[in-house]
Amino acid sequence: MKNLKLKAARAGKDMSQEDLAAKCGVSRQTISAVEKGDYNPTINLCIAICKALDKTLDELFWE
Amino acid sequence: MSIFASMGAAVGLLIGLIICVILFRYANTDKKIKTEYDERQQIVRYRAYRLAFYTIMVFEALVCIAGIGGFELPMVSYVQHFTGVMIGATVLGVYCIWHDVYWGLNNNKTRYMLIFVFTAILNCIPIIGAAKSGNLITDGKLGMAALNIMVIAMLIVVAVTLLIKQIADKGGKGEEE
Repeated sequence: MKNLKLKAARAGKDMSQEDLAAKCGVSRQTISAVEKGDYNPTINLCIAICKALDKTLDELFWE
Repeated sequence: MSIFASMGAAVGLLIGLIICVILFRYANTDKKIKTEYDERQQIVRYRAYRLAFYTIMVFEALVCIAGIGGFELPMVSYVQHFTGVMIGATVLGVYCIWHDVYWGLNNNKTRYMLIFVFTAILNCIPIIGAAKSGNLITDGKLGMAALNIMVIAMLIVVAVTLLIKQIADKGGKGEEE
């Protein structure tokens, strides 16, 4: 399932996938896969994404 | 192959390994030998290694079956096994490229491409030498130079796959998917 909340939060911060990937220490393709729902990130990556976007886990990853 | 030829090949491989270590340090942005991958890349690469392993296993089984049946492949024994290794390496490379896990986080793509070109040129030298001296095929079988031909073939397949993948990404979905 697509993670539209993540995509919206990233867009809200005016960040590209490349920017977010660099902040989280992963590749752009990995961020793309998370947004598309093709990859379920580990809790560590979820936390890194949340910190980069100033959001909570609930806000980005809870249904 | 004599003991001296075996030792020569071993020394050659060792020198090649040392050159690889130096080149990898140069090609990685953080000057580390090891390429870093993120969690998704590692998972996909495990699958790629598994697929490459099974490919080599199947190839070696086929070579065994051919040997038992008395079929003689048009290449000397060590070239047969090296063929399996190269096919496995090609499967690994193509799978990784197609699943966006070929390039690590600390790889400088331009420098890696230069290394590929440098490697291809280095591998051309023994082929030209063997072709000039007429040793490319001896007694109807591919000899030592076939190893270099296979390395070049693998590099070409990897380069073509990289190109196709780049075109597919640009044409299909664009940078921000």
